[in-house]
Amino acid sequence: MKPNTKSTRRSFLKTASTATLGALTAGWPRAIQARDSRIGASHATADRVIVLFMGGGMAHTETFDPKRHTPFRKGLNPAQVLSTFPTIDTAADPIKFTAGLEKIASVMDRGTLIRGYTAGDLGHILHTRHQYQWHTGYTPPQTVAAPHIGSVIARALGPLNPAVPAFIDIGQRFDMLEGEEMKVFHSAGFLGSEYGPFMIQNPDQAAAAARPPGGMTPSRFANRDKFYRKLVANSPVMLHGGDYQRESLLRSLDNAHRLLSSDAAQAFDLSREPRENLRRYLPDTVDTSKVSRVKQTRDGAYERDTLGRFGMGCLLARRLCEVGARFIEVGTEYIPFLNWDTHDNGHTRVIDMKRAIDGPVAQLVLDLEERGLLDRTLIVLASEFSRDMLIEGSPAKVVFDEVPVPPSIEELKYYGMHRHFTDAGCVLLFGGGIKKGHLHGETADERPCGTIKDRVVIEDLHATIYHALGIPPTLAYEVEKRPFYVTRDGKGKVIHDLLG
Amino acid sequence: MNRGHIAIPLLALVPFLASAQDTSERQTGLPLPTKRHVDFSADIRPIIEQSCLACHGRERDKGGFRMDTRELALKGGDSGLAITVGNSAQSRLIQLVAGKESESFMPRKGNRLTPEQIGLLRAWIDQGAAWDRSVSFARNEPPNLHPRRPIPPEIEGVKLPLDRFLDAYFQRESISSQPVINDRLFARRVWLDSIGLLPPPDQLRKFLADDRPNKRELLVDRLLNDNPAYAQHWLTFWNDLLRNDYAGTGYLNNGRSQITAWLYEALATNKRHDQFIKELVDPIEYKSSGFLDGIVWRGVVNASQRPEMQASQNISQVFLGVNIKCASCHDSLINDYTLKDAYGLASVFANKPLEMHECNQATGKFSAPRFLFPQLGRIDESAALETRRRQLAEILTHPANGRTPRVIVNRLWARLLGRGLVEPVDEMDLPAWNQDVLDWLAADLVANKWNLKITLARILNSRAYQLPAVDHPEHPTGKYVFRGPGVGRLNAEQYRDALSSLTGVGYVTPTANVDFSLGAKAANPRHEQTITRPIRWIWSEPAADKGLTSGSINLRRTFNLPELPTHAVAAIAADDIFELYINSIRVLNGSNWKRPSYANLRPYLRKGRNLIAVQAVNAGSGVNSAGFIFYCRIDIAEKRFDIASDKTWLTGRAAPRWTGFAFDDHDWKPVAVLGPIDMKPWCLQTRLEATVSGAYFSGSVRAALVPSDRLARALGRPSRERVVTTRRLTATDLQALELTNGESVSRILRQGAYKLAMEHKTTPVALINQLYVHAISRAPSAQERDIAAQLIGSPVKQEGLEDFLWAIAMHPEFQLIY
Repeated sequence: MKPNTKSTRRSFLKTASTATLGALTAGWPRAIQARDSRIGASHATADRVIVLFMGGGMAHTETFDPKRHTPFRKGLNPAQVLSTFPTIDTAADPIKFTAGLEKIASVMDRGTLIRGYTAGDLGHILHTRHQYQWHTGYTPPQTVAAPHIGSVIARALGPLNPAVPAFIDIGQRFDMLEGEEMKVFHSAGFLGSEYGPFMIQNPDQAAAAARPPGGMTPSRFANRDKFYRKLVANSPVMLHGGDYQRESLLRSLDNAHRLLSSDAAQAFDLSREPRENLRRYLPDTVDTSKVSRVKQTRDGAYERDTLGRFGMGCLLARRLCEVGARFIEVGTEYIPFLNWDTHDNGHTRVIDMKRAIDGPVAQLVLDLEERGLLDRTLIVLASEFSRDMLIEGSPAKVVFDEVPVPPSIEELKYYGMHRHFTDAGCVLLFGGGIKKGHLHGETADERPCGTIKDRVVIEDLHATIYHALGIPPTLAYEVEKRPFYVTRDGKGKVIHDLLG
Repeated sequence: MNRGHIAIPLLALVPFLASAQDTSERQTGLPLPTKRHVDFSADIRPIIEQSCLACHGRERDKGGFRMDTRELALKGGDSGLAITVGNSAQSRLIQLVAGKESESFMPRKGNRLTPEQIGLLRAWIDQGAAWDRSVSFARNEPPNLHPRRPIPPEIEGVKLPLDRFLDAYFQRESISSQPVINDRLFARRVWLDSIGLLPPPDQLRKFLADDRPNKRELLVDRLLNDNPAYAQHWLTFWNDLLRNDYAGTGYLNNGRSQITAWLYEALATNKRHDQFIKELVDPIEYKSSGFLDGIVWRGVVNASQRPEMQASQNISQVFLGVNIKCASCHDSLINDYTLKDAYGLASVFANKPLEMHECNQATGKFSAPRFLFPQLGRIDESAALETRRRQLAEILTHPANGRTPRVIVNRLWARLLGRGLVEPVDEMDLPAWNQDVLDWLAADLVANKWNLKITLARILNSRAYQLPAVDHPEHPTGKYVFRGPGVGRLNAEQYRDALSSLTGVGYVTPTANVDFSLGAKAANPRHEQTITRPIRWIWSEPAADKGLTSGSINLRRTFNLPELPTHAVAAIAADDIFELYINSIRVLNGSNWKRPSYANLRPYLRKGRNLIAVQAVNAGSGVNSAGFIFYCRIDIAEKRFDIASDKTWLTGRAAPRWTGFAFDDHDWKPVAVLGPIDMKPWCLQTRLEATVSGAYFSGSVRAALVPSDRLARALGRPSRERVVTTRRLTATDLQALELTNGESVSRILRQGAYKLAMEHKTTPVALINQLYVHAISRAPSAQERDIAAQLIGSPVKQEGLEDFLWAIAMHPEFQLIY
């Protein structure tokens, strides 16, 4: 046990009671809880969650589930290729990864790897439908607006620190193809927008999201607020008794002002981070001086220049954890046909993606550990589904494929996992009560490399996350007079094998 | 046992049966029958109500078994008799509740029956299964189905029917009569509620100074007849209800179609509401079919979300005010609607019988086309799809249908007064808090040829609407008593439009592809021709429309204005990109010729000499068409000084400051004229005219006409994935963050402060007065004026003005509607 466990536990108990109180007074939508479980139960092992989302489809055989390596040569038969990377050891024997993930491999003794994650069978693949499913636990479309897991947690537990938004979403923009579809689940849905994500689209500019508007000095900001209060206090409308609408408006502005002028807001400012720490969160190939230069174009140049963004997101997540964020999601950013969405050049592009995540993810684990926060912070690295070179969908239900695969691979661009695969996938878990150095599930060694042991579906993964936070998977909120469960129909099963 | 035994008087047999069966009873393990006479109402009814009806009553027929009446209960279900009268031990019902068949014990949901309860049921069956004739568990007919036109009570001195109903209501509730709100509050309320805009200061002043006794009525009339403004305001309401938008789920794969042009026309021309419904439910033309077609998602979706089921759910919710979303998956647990009801309505739109799916599992049963309320009309099951759709449209709008008109008048009431006569507005199976008002408004709508503007006017002119605003908590408790409209709040579109009118910083290009001239003529008899000068497509080289390699050109045009214009609105388009400067100030750029950009040039023009400079780019690889077109309508008092792109424009090489007067363009040449406005490949006549008239009649592009953005989302504009009938108005912290340091609000206020400072060379005090009147429809108090004057400084400081604008934009009197 770590020496700081006691104080963490004490502060957690305090948090739990405030959270429960918050949940009670929040009032709407009404929570319906199972009789024998309540929010903030004493078995909780985590206070906060960081989701590291590999949007676009991260191939399991190219990352955390190595299979036979077939190096590139002209004339390869695609059916031979299971993985385009050699296998490496990790700190947790006998778990192996593929090359390019050495740093995460070195911290694998701190976490658990799931190898049988299985995405839903939703027919002809659309990334955003699967992402919706991953983030809400429900298959779109739904007749009511399903909330993001971060919103559920924000609603159930409230903020850890009232001056920090409970749900912070880092690194995803929406001004692209499928952007509208993404907005649908980056939302609190029927829970109400107060539980929605606080969006930081570019981590480099996070500071701007939490300080006075651009070009405004703190003193002018304070003066503006003072002036506002004076003006409102002198308005005839304040002579009458209070009303609900006015009070909620004034209170919300008060809270926003408090956040923007709080000390916690400094956590958003990456420029306050020592230079050497900054470097640890950057891919090796990225020039530090270029990190803030973000191109808005959607071609390859954009991708190359923004490889460092995910790392900056991880660093920001660490800083926000330290000041009391409840739920943080950092994405590698889903952009159709870019990043993990490897419809072509799979091998070379995965090399880049591994560079983007390897250092930052490992550093996040180490930093949280060093600060005594890892024990109560659950890190979840996941993707909406996996990829394969041949099979689109799952072996049982092959669906319309979008990427042509030549009978013989003559060019490097055809070498990689370019189709969407739902029958297996990897999820990495660290901290927050998760077993250390543990492997859960297994996939076949030959194509289609599907799950053969301990299949994990999204509602069970969610149930386990909720359980770790002390939220019963059977918790429901009332919407349009019906119960809406936080795991699909209240049926999510906690995977106890994942918990230490 | 032989069923013939039933012929023997049962009661006489009871002791015999009980004793004779005692031995075998112990073997079966069934709880023993109660040894006394059981009473249906006292003993049996509570058991049935608690444990059976959720699946076997109110027309629910799980396993084909219903217990609505004794006859149905005795008839049994798919697997035969459930009750063998006189022999409870042999009755399947008893075996099921006693859990004899382990696979299918009853009740399937909720608590098991206690041995005492089973004993009562056994005794009841053994004693003849008596049933009180007056008890039926059939579905009750919901209220609000049939038309009713109540007569308003005679109350001396009270003229309007709504006032007479409400006066009687207040007397009943012992609520003393209150004076109506003052003209200023009324004006702000009615302007925002009827056309969504703040009262412009000059019009507000005129209204306040007006001393005609019927001036409020006149104002209501005038606003409702401002057709373009009315259409652009109510577009938001209907987009929410009909889940129509310009982007969003389903548009990606063309799995959805917009009805925007149709909807705008319907609103701008005040289409009869019955006709409106008919065109949505039984679309003749593609342009109104989007609502019925629903959203076709890529991949496999739950059976309850197939397009016909979407239509069934949406029609029920929007036009009938009932929620059958639960019933689309299984018999509803929240109301009386069943899977059969949902599929019945969906089948109206299906090419072949639909197989019912319960919780996404096929049931093997098929549904027949059926209206939700068969008492209001029947659909001919054997008729063709088109006929069925027409029949449904007829039933929905038939004079004998009292539901459809009640639903819409209730929605309008809720929109204007904050809370429905029936609340929630999608639960029209509930009674109204004032049934007379609801029924009368509905009957009145039908009597007035479904003219929604008449209903709106009735409500806006009523004393009820004009009472002082009352507290309006989000989740009120206790019995609702009407005392006045709830305190309202500007919705996302109203808020953005209010900021536009206050600061002059609005959206530049409408995304909604609509004809802005619709209804405009009727609204403004002085409406003249939009375009008074010939417009030409131009470029630097002739025949550019036939194709050129990519490249950039520069254009200039100077002209004189005798005075500062009263209006100057422009539409501009380039194939492919343009950037426009007026008097060296960069105004806007655009890159979609199919959607001409729209700009208010008034702030940039001046008396005397003016200069337009444009950089236009032909983009793309290879040879492709290039062209530029421009039209500016300029009004000075009654005269027009329009400027159009034509042969008078010059083109030449750019050099530093070429967008300004100082630049010497004597070596520039006249442009090449490519052809008239409607030439190929652009054919832009209609769109360009619509853009100019849109700009002219609206002053700026309203928020309802553009896709949702971050600010709009923060302020509650919904993603139109599903029908939204009520938006939440409560302020939240994330919203406040967006308003406090969000990029768009900061930008609007910064640019607004700059413009205001530039356009109004007045004293700070005059500016403060003007902004107060514009924003919150009243002059500032002396104190307020002093506080504001300190902030904005003298002469006006840009920063101070910006901060003052922010404070006004956050002011409760600005954001809320009192």
